[in-house]
Formats: sequence, C-alpha cells, structure tokens
Amino acid sequence: MRDFALSAELEELRAAAERLATAELAPNVRENEQAGRWPDSVVSVLDGFPLGDLDLPDRLGGVGAGVLAKVVILETLAMGDAGGLAAVDRPGSTVGAVLACPDHDLVAEVLTTGRDGSAQSGFTVIDPDSGSTGLDWAPGGPDLRWVWVSEENTLRLHEVTGTPTPLQVLAFQASGGVTVPFDATTVRGTWELSADTSLMVRSRARLWGAAISVGIAQAALEDTIEYTTERVVFGKPVAHHQGNAFDIAATAARIHGARLVVRDAAAAFDREEPHAAFWATQAWLETVDATFAATNLGIQLLGGHGFIVDHLAEKRFREARMLAMAAGARDAAEFDAAAHVMDVPDPLVGTEVAS
Amino acid sequence: MIEIDTRTREMIEEVRELGRVHMRPIGLEADRTAEPPPVDHPFYLICTQKGGLVSRMVGEGEGPGPTALDWKPVRNFLLGEEAAYWDRGVALSLPGPGLGGPGLRSTGTPEQNERWLATFTDHSKARWGAMAMTEPEAGSDVARIQTRARKEGDEWVLNGRKMFCSNSARADWIIVWATVDPALGRDGHRAFMLERDTPGFEILKIEHKMGSRGYETASFAMDDVRLPADHLLGGEEFYQSRRGFKASMATFNLTRPLHTAHGVGMGRAAHDFALDFIRSDYPAQGRRRQRALERLAKIRRGLHTARLMYLNAVWLAKNGKSNALEASYAKLYSPPVVLEAVVAALDILGEAGVRNDKMLEKLYRDVKILDIGEGTQQVQRVVVARQLFDFPRDA
Repeated sequence: MRDFALSAELEELRAAAERLATAELAPNVRENEQAGRWPDSVVSVLDGFPLGDLDLPDRLGGVGAGVLAKVVILETLAMGDAGGLAAVDRPGSTVGAVLACPDHDLVAEVLTTGRDGSAQSGFTVIDPDSGSTGLDWAPGGPDLRWVWVSEENTLRLHEVTGTPTPLQVLAFQASGGVTVPFDATTVRGTWELSADTSLMVRSRARLWGAAISVGIAQAALEDTIEYTTERVVFGKPVAHHQGNAFDIAATAARIHGARLVVRDAAAAFDREEPHAAFWATQAWLETVDATFAATNLGIQLLGGHGFIVDHLAEKRFREARMLAMAAGARDAAEFDAAAHVMDVPDPLVGTEVAS
Repeated sequence: MIEIDTRTREMIEEVRELGRVHMRPIGLEADRTAEPPPVDHPFYLICTQKGGLVSRMVGEGEGPGPTALDWKPVRNFLLGEEAAYWDRGVALSLPGPGLGGPGLRSTGTPEQNERWLATFTDHSKARWGAMAMTEPEAGSDVARIQTRARKEGDEWVLNGRKMFCSNSARADWIIVWATVDPALGRDGHRAFMLERDTPGFEILKIEHKMGSRGYETASFAMDDVRLPADHLLGGEEFYQSRRGFKASMATFNLTRPLHTAHGVGMGRAAHDFALDFIRSDYPAQGRRRQRALERLAKIRRGLHTARLMYLNAVWLAKNGKSNALEASYAKLYSPPVVLEAVVAALDILGEAGVRNDKMLEKLYRDVKILDIGEGTQQVQRVVVARQLFDFPRDA
C-alpha cells in the first residue's frame, strides 16, 4: 500500500540537511553569491553526507541511499540556498548519463575526478533538428572537464581540451559558471542507447532540477507568508486581502503537489519501475510551473521590495527560470512526455482501460 | 512511492468489470432520461450482494469506525476512483452509507456506528444512507445553517430545510446537521441521525441537473421531527469536548479527498477517450498528432498529481494525523485539472466530442459539480489560507 512516510534514516539525514540549510546556507546567501561559491566548511559537510554519491549505486562507488533520499536532501538544502548546489553536487544532474554510459572505465574516471574535486561535469540536451555548437552553461568550480550530451538516443561524453569561458548567467552564481564550444573538446565516447535509457538520462537531470525547484518554491512561499502577514496595506496585512490569500493558497497547493510527484518519481526509480523516467519528466514539468508561480507571487506580493536584492524573492525568481532551462528546457521535456505517453500504463490501476 | 497490494488490484478489476458491464450503460441511460436508476434496479441488488466491495467503492470501509483494523481508506478511495471512471453519478447512487459514512465515522460513537451501519449487512435489499448539510441559505458557509434542534425531555425536535442532498429521497437514514442556537455559530452545531419513516420528514423536490444525473439530489423538510436522545451522534459530551463545527469539518477531511478521487477517475475516462480517438482517427505523424500527444501528457500529469494529493490526504487520515490542509489542497487543485482534462479531450476529438452519443460531452457536464460539492474551490482557498496563516474569518 502507498506510504508517504520517510524512513527513520532518511528523516535523520533530512534533519541534518535542514540544520545545515538553516544555520550555514540561509544566513550567507548573498555573501556566497558574491563569492561565486559555497564556503569550504559547507562543502566538507556535504561531502560527509555524501551528497554526490547518495543516489549512486554501490557498483559506482555510491552509498546507494536511493533517488528518494537524494531528492529529499536537495529539496531541503535548496530551501536554505540553491545557489551552490550545481557546483558541489557531482555528478549531480549528470547522474543519468553516468548510469547509462556502457564504458565503465570512463565512468570511473569521471566519478573519481568529481569526487576528488579536480573536475566538474556539465550536461546538455541537443535537439537534432537544431544542433548545437557547444555547452551554454555549466557550473564553474572545479574546472569543467566533462560534458555529457544527450541527442535523441545518442549519448556522448566530451572532454574539455580548451579553456572554458567564465560566464555570468541568470542565477546560481554561487556555483560559478562557464561556457565551452564543442570544438574546444574531444569526444571520448559515443553510445547509442535505447529510447527508454535515453529518456532516463534526461529525466534524471530533470528530477535533480525538480527537487531543487521544490525547495526554492517552498522557501519562496514561506517568505511570502512571513512578509505578507506583517506588511499592512489598506488597513490590514497584505495576506488578509482575499485576492492575495487565494493566490497564496493556490500556490501552496501546487507546491504540495509538486513535492509529491517529485518524490513519487524518485521512489519509482528506486523500485526500478519501467516508466520511472516518464514520470520524472512529468514531475519536472509540473514542478517548474509550480515554482514559477510561487516565485513570481513571491515578488508580486512583496511589491517593490520583491524587486530589490534586500529580499531573496528576486533570487528565487531567477533560479526558478534557470531550472526551467535544464535538460533541453520545456520543449524537450514536452517532446519526451508526448513521445512516451501512449506507451505508459497507469502506474496504479495497471493496464489501460478500454473506453 | 506508489505501491498497491494484490488484493486491491483484484478489487479494482472487480469494480472495472462492474463499471464496464453495468455502471457506464446505466449512467448513459440516466443521463438520457434525466432520471437516476430506480431503487429496485437489478444492478443495485447485485451491488448489495457484493457487500464490502460496493461500500468500499463509495468511500466506506467494512469496519464500524476509523480505528477498525480493516479500515483501508487508501484502497477504498482507489476503488471510488475506478467507479467514477465508469460513471460517477451511478457510483454515488450505489447502495450503502454514501456520504453519510464519513459523517457517521467522524461523529458517531462506536455503538452508533455499529447500529446504523448494520443497516447494510442485510444483503437482500438495497439500502442507502445520506448526509445533509447544505440549506437554502447556507451553502459554502456551512456555519450559517438554520435548521434548529431543540431538546424537549428525552427527545430532540428538528425544524428546517435541507437541499442538494445526495440520495436522501431513497435513504434509510440521513445524518442531519442542525444548530441548537444560531447565536452560538459553529459551536452550536450538532449531527443527528434521521431515519426515513420519522414523522415530519418530507421530500420536497428532486433536482434536475446539467450532469451527474446518475444519482438523485433532493431537498427535504423537517417539521417538528422528533428524535430520541440517542440519535444525537457522538452524544452531548462529544460536542462539549470536540465542538460540533470541528466535527463537521472532520467529515470534509474525508469527503474532499474522495471528491478528488472521483475527479481523477473521470479525468482518466476523458484521457482514455482521447487516447482511443488518437489511435483510430489521427494521422500516424505530423503536427496535429504531436500537439494532441502533448495535451495527453499534460492530462496525465495533472491527474497523477491530483491522485497523489488525495492518496496523501487519506494516508494521513488512516495514520491518525491531521489532514485538513492536505484534504483541501487536493480539493483545491483537482477540479480545474479534471475539467481541463475533459476540455483537452474534447479538443482532441473536435466536433465528434460534443455529439451526445459520445461520452465526452456528458463528462463535460458531469465534472463541473466537482468544483462545487464538498466546498467550492474558493472555500478551499479560504480553508488553506486559514491553515497557513491567520487569515481572518471576516476578510
């Protein structure tokens, strides 16, 4: 039967992540953004989790805690600050590529250099109709060395041989940022995958972003409520005007739903359900919409205060959009969902019912 | 996180068979004639003889109260979802305690639960229960109910009118919410067990509806209806310690997720019609097909989210945890998603979708009630706002 409870071990881990988020991340958001990285003290704690290896299986040197554990921890950390997660979580969004790659020696090299802090990985999805000349953005620290490319059912690993160009982007400044053209890379391997495995590669990246997205949305909601229940306009708190209260309530419901679908998709991966990747892509689509709604409302109800950097509303609004660009952005996710929707039975009631 | 056991899966298959063979055709007939199936419809006897399965389909359990070991609300709600897939109107018309079940659970003593649920252990005849809250002057704002309950000696005397009450014209008993003193507001609320043949009880009208015609929606009057003292559900102490209004709200914490479950079932039906149509009538490739598949995926996404929300709400209830917020989240989120699913399916079918020999135009008329019954979306937003922050009652 369905169970929404977290295990005692995961709850303990979540509580530890929450303490870190509250005590170390949230109070220093702007300083870390300015510095372009999270401090070593935070990184060392995360290495102890270990964040990057949480959802990796034993065979790849991971701790095998599972995908559900990973999304819960990402969500919890992102409530404090999402800005540095892209850099410190290795392999992070590239985990699907790492799992799918059949060249185990190459994967071991990628993982080892990620764990010892010498190399960063990036991930991009290329539309075969449009092509691409390079990776638009990857976290900047440590040095970008690996670029995973998913192009339809082809997976490629590029090794960066030139020098990536530092880049300022919309958000995630605490992760740094670089861009690199493919002609400054060498292709280390190209593999043809099944359609399902290719979807898994992209979906794991989406689920990674969706988990962070839920944390950002929840933090935005909580800050919005705090501000709007204190700030008085037209004789009563902002939140006590029914129009505003209704928007907050609807947004809260969407965030709740997003959290459930993200965790559900993660658990489906843990159970090795055949259509987990489809549901992860669906979860991402649901979540990016919910998070945009939450962070947009976060600015809107703060009014001018939402637009200035004294508050975090504007940062979360930027982050929401950045996460919506992940793994080929919305079009790629919509294409993937549409391509598989007729083949995926209902996950609970089984085979499709003839009408 | 999704896992269901073998027995639940088997029961879903049983409901599916009942739905395919009986409920869908009966629902279409009820829609065509604008009359719910008569109480002596043979299908009701089949349902009655199936006992527990049917009571589960309408959101009930087999046990007498929420502490019963066999109270499996997650399973029951999944069966409710499956029943609504075939025809929600007929599902709501099925014999059993219906929406009175959650009301009895949340207010009645164990003895009262046992006594009135025993009505349904006689499998030789179809029997119904019902619950009455809404009044002509009190819809969304249930705190304003005016039906009066007056204590006279060992009896309670009820006077007032109720409306939009499902199955009340055929029910053996109705849980009636009344107030002992309107000046007390919510604290004056009491729930009573009104049995069918009680003098002073009169059915006034059976409504004609745009959709969901498979079950009857009735209004009734109570003129000096006299009830024994033990028909006050929960007894006097219950209201002193728990307060009547909270008890009525606790009822909604189960019926709101059930509404969501029904919505998911109806949305799935719309999805499957669209899917069939794409398979049979759409070109194998091209932009029209691509667009339709994207819309199909969006339907799946919304319904999956809504399902997780109702399952989460009933899972909390099953585990004895507060679920008021999650129940309202589910009820707030799901009706627009379900309506959108039906609209998207209609778009996919195009002109074929609005023909009345197609199920979809019926679904379009049927689903709108989901955003009204058990508290409108606007009510849910108020409830959520009050849970999340101190949203004032007079805002």
